[in-house]
Amino acid sequence: MESASPFASGPPRQRPAMVSNPTSVVQTPLIGRSMAPSSSVPLPSPFGSALPGFSRPAATPLASRPPPPGAIPQGPIAGNGPRIPGFTAPRTLPPPSVQPAPPSAASSSIRPPTPYASATQDSGLQSYPGSPPSGASVATLPMPFVGPPASQQFGRPPTSQPLFSGPPRSQPPFAGAQYLQRPMAGSTNSQLPLAGPPTSQSPFLGPPTSQPPFTGPPTSQPPRPNTPQPPFAGLPTPQQFGGPSTQTLTGPPISQFVGPPTSQPYAGRSSSPSQMATPSSQPFSMPPTVGTSFGSPVWPSQPGQMVPSLPGNVQAPPRMFGMPPGMPGQPIPPVLPAMGHSALAGPQVSTQSKIDPNQIPRPLPNSSITIFETRQGNQANVPPSATSIFVVKDNGNCSPRLMRCTLNQIPCTGDLLSTSSMPFALMVQPLALPHPSDDPIPVVDFGESGPVRCSRCKSYINAFMRFIDHGRTFVCNLCGFTNETPRDYLCNLGPDGRRRDADERLELCKGTVEFVATREYMVRDPMPAVFFFLIDVSLNAIQTGATAAACSAISQSLADLPDGPRTMVGIATFDCSIHFYNLRRASQQPLMLIVPDIHDVYTPLHTDVVVPLTECRQSVEQLLESIPSLFENNKVSDSAFGAAIKAGFLALKPTGGKLLVFQSVLPSVGIGSLSSREAEGRTNASAGDKEAHKLLQPADKTLKTMAIEFAEYQVCVDIFITAQTFVDIASISVVPGTTGGQVYYYYPFSALSDPGKLYNDLRWNLSRPQGFEAVMRVRCSQGLQVQEYAGSFCKRIPTDIDLPAIDCEKTIMVTFKHDDKFQENSECAFQCALLYTTVYGERRIRVINLSLPCTSMLTNLFRTADLDTQFACILKQAASSIPVNSLSQVREQITNLCINILHAYRKFCATVSSSGQLILPEALKLLPLYTLALVKSIGLRNDGRFDDRSYWASHVMSLSISLAVPLVYPRMISIHDLTAKENDGSLSSSNIPLSSEHINDDGIYLLENGEDCLIYVGNMVNPDTLQKLFGVTSVDGLPTQLVLQQFDNDLSEKLSDVMNEIRQQRCSYLRLRLCKKGDPSGMHFMSYMIEDKTAGGLSYVEFLVHVHRQIQTKMA
Amino acid sequence: MAEDLAGGAVVSTDPDGPDGVRMTWNAWPRSKVESSKCVVPVAASIAPIRSSPSLVVLPYHPLRCKPPCAAVLNPFARVDYGAKIWICPFCFSRNHFPPHYAGISEHNYPAELYPQCTTIEYAPPPLDAAAPPPPPVFLFVIDTCLIEEELGYVKSAMRRAIGLLPDHALVGLITFGTQVHLHELGFADITKIYVFRGTKEITKEQILDQLGLSSAGVRHGGVAGAPGYPRGPQANALHPSTSVNRFLLPASDCDYTLNALLDELQLDRWPVETSSRALRCTGVALTVAAGLLGACVAGTGARIIALVGGPCTVGPGMIVSKDLSEPVRSHKDLDKDAAPHFHKAVKFYDNLAKQLVNQGHVLDLFASALDQVGVAEMKVAVERTGGLVVLAESFGHPVFKDSFKRIFEDGEQSLGLSFKSGKKWEVTFVFLPLGSGTLEINCSKDIKIQGIIGPCTSLDKKGALCADTIVGQGNTISWKMCGLDRTTCLTVFFDISPSERSGQQGIPNPQLYIQFLTNYQNPEGQMRLRVATIMRKWVDGSNTEELVEGFDQETAAVVLARYVSLKMEMEEEFDATRWLDRSLIRLCSRFGDYRKDDSASFTLHPNFSILPQFMFNLRRSQFVQVFNNSPDETAYFRMLLNRESITNSVVMIQPSLLSYSFNSPPTPALLDVSSIALDRILLLDAYFSIVIFHGTTIAQWRNLGYQNQPEHQAFAQLLQAPQDDAQMIIKERFPVPRLVICDQHGSQARFLLAKLNPSATYNSAHEVVPGSDIIFTDDVSLQVFCEHLQRLAVQS
Repeated sequence: MESASPFASGPPRQRPAMVSNPTSVVQTPLIGRSMAPSSSVPLPSPFGSALPGFSRPAATPLASRPPPPGAIPQGPIAGNGPRIPGFTAPRTLPPPSVQPAPPSAASSSIRPPTPYASATQDSGLQSYPGSPPSGASVATLPMPFVGPPASQQFGRPPTSQPLFSGPPRSQPPFAGAQYLQRPMAGSTNSQLPLAGPPTSQSPFLGPPTSQPPFTGPPTSQPPRPNTPQPPFAGLPTPQQFGGPSTQTLTGPPISQFVGPPTSQPYAGRSSSPSQMATPSSQPFSMPPTVGTSFGSPVWPSQPGQMVPSLPGNVQAPPRMFGMPPGMPGQPIPPVLPAMGHSALAGPQVSTQSKIDPNQIPRPLPNSSITIFETRQGNQANVPPSATSIFVVKDNGNCSPRLMRCTLNQIPCTGDLLSTSSMPFALMVQPLALPHPSDDPIPVVDFGESGPVRCSRCKSYINAFMRFIDHGRTFVCNLCGFTNETPRDYLCNLGPDGRRRDADERLELCKGTVEFVATREYMVRDPMPAVFFFLIDVSLNAIQTGATAAACSAISQSLADLPDGPRTMVGIATFDCSIHFYNLRRASQQPLMLIVPDIHDVYTPLHTDVVVPLTECRQSVEQLLESIPSLFENNKVSDSAFGAAIKAGFLALKPTGGKLLVFQSVLPSVGIGSLSSREAEGRTNASAGDKEAHKLLQPADKTLKTMAIEFAEYQVCVDIFITAQTFVDIASISVVPGTTGGQVYYYYPFSALSDPGKLYNDLRWNLSRPQGFEAVMRVRCSQGLQVQEYAGSFCKRIPTDIDLPAIDCEKTIMVTFKHDDKFQENSECAFQCALLYTTVYGERRIRVINLSLPCTSMLTNLFRTADLDTQFACILKQAASSIPVNSLSQVREQITNLCINILHAYRKFCATVSSSGQLILPEALKLLPLYTLALVKSIGLRNDGRFDDRSYWASHVMSLSISLAVPLVYPRMISIHDLTAKENDGSLSSSNIPLSSEHINDDGIYLLENGEDCLIYVGNMVNPDTLQKLFGVTSVDGLPTQLVLQQFDNDLSEKLSDVMNEIRQQRCSYLRLRLCKKGDPSGMHFMSYMIEDKTAGGLSYVEFLVHVHRQIQTKMA
Repeated sequence: MAEDLAGGAVVSTDPDGPDGVRMTWNAWPRSKVESSKCVVPVAASIAPIRSSPSLVVLPYHPLRCKPPCAAVLNPFARVDYGAKIWICPFCFSRNHFPPHYAGISEHNYPAELYPQCTTIEYAPPPLDAAAPPPPPVFLFVIDTCLIEEELGYVKSAMRRAIGLLPDHALVGLITFGTQVHLHELGFADITKIYVFRGTKEITKEQILDQLGLSSAGVRHGGVAGAPGYPRGPQANALHPSTSVNRFLLPASDCDYTLNALLDELQLDRWPVETSSRALRCTGVALTVAAGLLGACVAGTGARIIALVGGPCTVGPGMIVSKDLSEPVRSHKDLDKDAAPHFHKAVKFYDNLAKQLVNQGHVLDLFASALDQVGVAEMKVAVERTGGLVVLAESFGHPVFKDSFKRIFEDGEQSLGLSFKSGKKWEVTFVFLPLGSGTLEINCSKDIKIQGIIGPCTSLDKKGALCADTIVGQGNTISWKMCGLDRTTCLTVFFDISPSERSGQQGIPNPQLYIQFLTNYQNPEGQMRLRVATIMRKWVDGSNTEELVEGFDQETAAVVLARYVSLKMEMEEEFDATRWLDRSLIRLCSRFGDYRKDDSASFTLHPNFSILPQFMFNLRRSQFVQVFNNSPDETAYFRMLLNRESITNSVVMIQPSLLSYSFNSPPTPALLDVSSIALDRILLLDAYFSIVIFHGTTIAQWRNLGYQNQPEHQAFAQLLQAPQDDAQMIIKERFPVPRLVICDQHGSQARFLLAKLNPSATYNSAHEVVPGSDIIFTDDVSLQVFCEHLQRLAVQS
């Protein structure tokens, strides 16, 4: 092996070329690169040396931000804000009051960026001010747009539209468009304003104008300001700066995000809805017209359409819903044709009722790096978005990477929580990869006595334990018990009431520390790192090349296993019997030991089935090389998967370890054999759909029982499924799901394009930071209690979860419920303790502390809500209910949750406004979009294969927050013009909204969700571009199974860079798939266009309308 | 008396006669009552395929009487040459000669009618002349729960054996310890082993299924050979079914593989806890072996050759738990029913035996261990299948080494695996195809068959000839012998039960006839039918003299020994000594010549004269005094007793003793402690062991090296003579006996002393001849025994 520690940041190693695909070589497998083993040292670089973040210009958050005014792009943080041109005026108000929230959060330092951003945005947004009306008190967030705004919005849209629309249709715009891309787009808009308001103005102006109207209507809106958000970009610029910058920030941030986008979009919608609903009030005739225009869905037709198109959407919805009483007349009939016409004119008019798709909230990528101090001034800071790039300074609270809460302020009572409807959970990712610049996690050794713990609740000493009585006793921050300070831990208190040594003792000043475990924490000696590979050699596996790919991947990955004598490996193969290999044999060949009894398995040897890698590497490699040929003529098509993992388990039983299984077909014989339920399900379709979800439940309990036994002996199972057909992942995934492992799914397996990913997945699986034989418990302050844990683990006693293995990606969700009240100004503490063994055999206790303020204000809850975390929580809950409820129920649950949350906000936090407005909390402004995406995700789609859905569900259960969002709301960028975007820098700033509207026939697009990577090639692509990227000259010449090769040209290199950057970021090699327009693959690609209307789902705009309608209904 | 005896066995030319049949009574009492008064049961010891130089082989099918008799034409049939009719001596049916016997006449009659051809063999042409005979099959089952040294011995023995195997013989290998390893020899790329767990009983079907040999062949995709696939018509040693090729390969094809496997064969690696025995799953290993053979070569001759180094401690057939605190069962435990595993294990092996018999396969057991290995339990499987058994202390001991080698050896002392016939003492294994390895017995009316003791299995073919009482394998007129060699000997017990009618018939037939029909496959693979027809005469019960004349005391002793052994095994609380004593007393009362209540007047006819001594030694032998031995040893001794010839069996009961001294040629000596002298060398042949015993003076001289001095050639010769004689005996015997060379007063001398009549004990020490020896025992001496016998026999 390499001398380097597995995690060392050494140069990314190149992927050994897989036999089958040459290309792979080109692609650097950055993924493999891992972090420092034990988190303690941040060696870091998670992925290849070059961090995207660093490279980017944006580097300093603060600094960078400022520039903003001009540079819209930065927006990332600011996000959407800018978009809305119209509302300048209102801004003014953005009184601090509103911001209050922000402030609190506001550790100024951190926030700064936001503020700025916000500023910019604000400027843009402010136009809305009027709208902001939502009572200041309410929190800025809301803003959403009131009816009026809607109009404005429209207005906006138009404005923006021109831009946008322009691009899409007419190429010229394009260039611009590219930059703009969704997020960008927003920014661009704003830019325009800045640059030359005038120019752009026309559009903008329009909006503004429109605003007035709004204002009018919105009268109610008046409120103000908090809305700094008023998002609409263009206008306000100036203002923004002024006001916003300061205060705001906090506020702004929110507002920014939310505000702008939200407001607009909503507005749009709201407007429309409102129109519908309260036709009388807002909906001016205008809208209708627009609406009509929309009706004509044809975007392509004209550049100008942009705006219209949206409207169109709007209209549609109304009809669908039918609900809006008021609506009737207006929207529909109007001017279909109008659309095309004048963006400007139309827009404004229509505005009211319509939503401008370009203005509705969308995630803005943020490529700049922020520095996040976890606490300041003895206050917890609100962490930045999980998907953004940030550096953590641990000041007492843990890094949000390790643990973050859906709410950054804890509701004092359960009632308050249920009123908000928001989920309340912690996402714990205890071994999460740190950013290279993060504070390292300190290792603290208490020697013989072990770490100091509360004698009642057994929680570990932490920064929030209060020492009193001259340090002689300390009060547990979790249970409130007063403990004697151990004699050798005594220290006087300083004048500030803190121990004098508090800053020297890391456990007293850091949020996360690792204690060296004493013997007391060990049932036995720490286990060695044991890896046992089980390879399917049945007919199908051999013929599809899966066996060869697995052997090759394992062979190459051996080098990435932890070095040293403690690393043991074993190999077995299986078809309808299980073949072990005695790897320690004098003779030239290994010895194959066949266990034929697959109903009651056993290990064939006591020793030598698992051998130290250092001693037997050669024979292991030789064996792996020969396995494919040994079974070349194997005619056995059955697979005894259950028996095989049982046998593997028996081999690992004495030590524990990881069992990595490569499986290609449905387990058909032996213990835990399964039937082809999918086919049966299909034939019984009539009984069908209601029972369909049962196919997502494990077929029986055999595997579950086995898995629990595995977990008991610290055996973790990872399964690599290289299948061509149904393999019943619902049943199989129980095993990894219970043992802390995971499922990898390659369907349909291609010997050409998949070995690369297989290898990289395996390599990362083996080399990523991980721990063994772990036990984890989360403790919380009195007043709360842990309700449930969710993720991949085994739970044998109520309080702890057992993790035979835990790695840097596994995330565990912990939900809580109130059993008491909190005082308004108290803090609620959470402590996660993970006892584990490192790959080097050290026993450690990682203690992660988070202390959050309690609040009895609903507004605070909304203001500090953590969207990404909440969404991850919702996602996981959806995944866990898939097997239990029918799809439509699950979708409804999710939608209702979204509606309830927004309704709660609307009802209790938003300032009085007309019911025609859809108001979104700034922090959660993307919730509807994500909810929509979730409803359309693979797992919840009606047309998904059962295996895909099961895989999705099992994948989601342990998914980290930062990957949860892209999984559901993928990132799309264009790649035909990569070189043109060069100066723009990072790819993340060029995301395109997931709407077919933004797909052009002459473009090539890359869409990735952290798992799959689809490359879509339009049918009019420039042959030159094709040649550059793929080495072919026509679309027809493209291979169906894509293997990316790097050619010697800028574009290809750039693409390669982009791929690597994405891979690093996602810690995944990504499964490449080529999609061609007009092909089934093209349809597949289009199914990711979440904002589109589909057979089974609403478009984004329609969805907003729907949500709005529902809220209105509830309000009424 | 003693001298007669010593000479008798060794000298007589062919005690078994041309038919290989010896009977306890050569004149049969005519009634049931009379026969019971004879005390010694009417029984015959037969060697079904003993080789005989004068044997005539006829190349055609035998002529048989009409059913149900179906007796084969024999010299005792009355033939009417004119009418071309023969009258069956058994059923008196008249049979016409078939057309091809048309030429028959008083001067021209077929060989089967020659008076001297009472035993004759038919070798009808095979149905399919083109089909080569199936090759022999050897499946080795080797224990690996050994110590390194023992494994080394096993390997070298195996290597030698592999080198000696005929090229076309099919060979398979199973090793076992905690688990069973079935080696797939036909897989070239990598060494492939199927592993079966030792703890679980598995059925034949499961084995087949797991090996992919089941008829469905589903699991392994290919179409495996169906079980019992007829292999006759196949090309030499090449099996159509690939599945066979995986596990059983011609020796010539796999000797390299086998040797490589042996080189790498390791001890069982499963950990053995202290205070525990190694886990050894002999039972499962044998099940797997049987299952494999059943799948691959059912119906053709195959041997499972098991090398076992310890007791089965796990799984089916387990005889003792792995806990060392539990000793292996002793006779005492068996007696008290305190052997928890015994009956279960016996049942298991009984089932295994049934399976093997059904398949026509043989289990040979080579057990080498200081402690017991479970021969007592496995006996049933070995004996029923006609397998060989060798019990030794170590795989390095000559008893094992030489015996094992001899199975495969070619040459004079070989057991004839080379299938060359004609050697006088050749012991040839015969592989009996299913359904044809049988013995059938036909006999005159009034005679019923009780059963057979010996290496065979009842085929449960009931008939009118079956007696009500059963001895051994009974209730049938047909038996199966999976493993049969030329020395194999069976003891048939008869019952005399004249029917009412036969008694009334006018002139009773003065002769009785018995016909033994043995169907077997000779070493060349040819099917043979050997027919031995014997004639004896009836004697009226009152005519004691004729009965006495027809008495064969050696056979009687052996039959009694076999009978009593069987009773000891079958009957609880059976007091063998008492039973023997009473039988002997009754016999003496009946056939002795005496005046009532005058013991001094007691004399016995020479035909009975040695019997009391046989009985005396039998009472003291390992067959009756089992408590000196382990159940394993007892089972071993009995198995050999049951399958050896009368001559050999007599030696087991009463060893022979030869004395070597300067003054005389080697002479038989009394089996008495008084035969010991300072200047003599004694050679004791106790069948299982041979002892060369040097008198003190001889030993001293030898230790001084006189034999190396030219002037003491005579001494050297004296020393050498018993050695040579011992080697002669060893060469002829299978299993190879244990050779003990010892000196007077040495510790090993106990092997001799235990066998000697304790005419001088510590009680009589003062009377002892100087230079002789005494035996420390309270046992009665032969003299005392005989005195008592006389007294009791004459009691009224």
